[in-house]
Amino acid sequence: MLWWIIGIIAVFALIIFILYYNRFVILENRIDNSLAQIDVQLKKRADLVPNLLESVKGYMKHERAVIKEVTDARKALVGARNLPARAKAGAELQHALSGLFAIAENYPNLKANENFLHLQQELSAIEERIAYSRQYYNDSILSYNNTVESFPGVFFARLYGKSEKKMLEITAEERALPKVRF
Amino acid sequence: MTDRISFQDQINSNKAKSVFLMFAIIVAFIILGFVISKFLDPSYFFIIMIISIIFSLLYTVISYYNADKIALASVRAKPASREEHKMLFNSVENMALASGLPAPRIYVMDSSEINAFASGRDPKHAVICVTTGALEKLNKQELEGIIAHEMAHVANYDIRFMTLTAVLVGMVSIAAEIFLRSLWFSNNDRNSRGNAILMIIGILFAIIAPIAAQLVSLAISRRREYTADATGVKFTRYPPGLANALKKIKHEHVPAGESRKYPKAVAPLFISDPFKKKLTNLFSTHPPVDERIRRLEQM
Repeated sequence: MLWWIIGIIAVFALIIFILYYNRFVILENRIDNSLAQIDVQLKKRADLVPNLLESVKGYMKHERAVIKEVTDARKALVGARNLPARAKAGAELQHALSGLFAIAENYPNLKANENFLHLQQELSAIEERIAYSRQYYNDSILSYNNTVESFPGVFFARLYGKSEKKMLEITAEERALPKVRF
Repeated sequence: MTDRISFQDQINSNKAKSVFLMFAIIVAFIILGFVISKFLDPSYFFIIMIISIIFSLLYTVISYYNADKIALASVRAKPASREEHKMLFNSVENMALASGLPAPRIYVMDSSEINAFASGRDPKHAVICVTTGALEKLNKQELEGIIAHEMAHVANYDIRFMTLTAVLVGMVSIAAEIFLRSLWFSNNDRNSRGNAILMIIGILFAIIAPIAAQLVSLAISRRREYTADATGVKFTRYPPGLANALKKIKHEHVPAGESRKYPKAVAPLFISDPFKKKLTNLFSTHPPVDERIRRLEQM
């Protein structure tokens, strides 16, 4: 009888150990996956920039500084080795691009260019997607950290050598909330 | 996304309810077969019972895998095109990223009313359908709010249970109607006493079944809408988007006859009641819009 009880307890303990192990795996995979999503969008953005510069070239001959800024930011993004660096470079590229789009306002011919308009829309859609991917990444980190830090997760986290992770902190790319329209 | 873990309870409960519902469909069909066979002729008893068992099994399996297609077909929805509905595609892709779910397939249905619904058996096979009215009348933030609400239904597995419920409700009401009509054409001269009892049972069944099914689906879907509103806001981080969309829904003038495009059985799937009933009662498919707006504005 006593052995039965010990056996049952052992099986339960084993199940709990397995469940927590899988929980960590799922949460970490979710984080990796959301990082990959951000990366995909950053790459798309870098790929679109040469086309944009090509469409702008004919109109904005005298805006070398802005164009150089965009080119440099893109180079930094393509050259960045790890994701935090890429995310940072991506934010700088976004900043440079918004500078370029602001100046483009002064060129009515450019603003009427369909190719340019299309690229501008694409890039702003990518900006939104990056913002939402980052939001999901931070959400995933939060739920991972909550599991790692709260009891009894903290016990299993120590056992499996898991520690809390940092959220992405890039203020430049924070999604600008739209003004409420009435 | 801590709530996603506690939402796990809701997901599990939705899955369990879906299984129960499919079981209920099978049982309902077998009972119906039993009543019909007793009513018609004792010699057909086994044949009718076997047919009703096979039919009920086939029906549940087919509905499980095709519930989304049935729902889409019943409102004559068409696949959206990326070129034509750019804002819609962007909104759906944004919300898929924000929720961490695969991007659902997107459909558009022809109706001047602002409305939308989600369907499918799981997030991998999800569809989102939006009316042309919603695309015309809503701005980007409002549309995103609506899509976020639908993605919340997808994330919580509401779509599986709600679509299955819609199919069950539709099935029971159609089957009951057929049964009631067939009563007028049957002959009741042989052992009329037994027949009369069965007839009463049949009539009772035919009246109660659709009401019961309706009540079940309605009671559940009202609470679901509040939860989906809250989860949706977690995806957009922008409560005014959905709140403004609901305000537009509340104030829009729908031409008479527009609601005829919405079959009664699929009405609970939509973000707002297509029939725009003013009174909230036991039969309301949706919570009052004002209360939903109030809750959103408090977030």
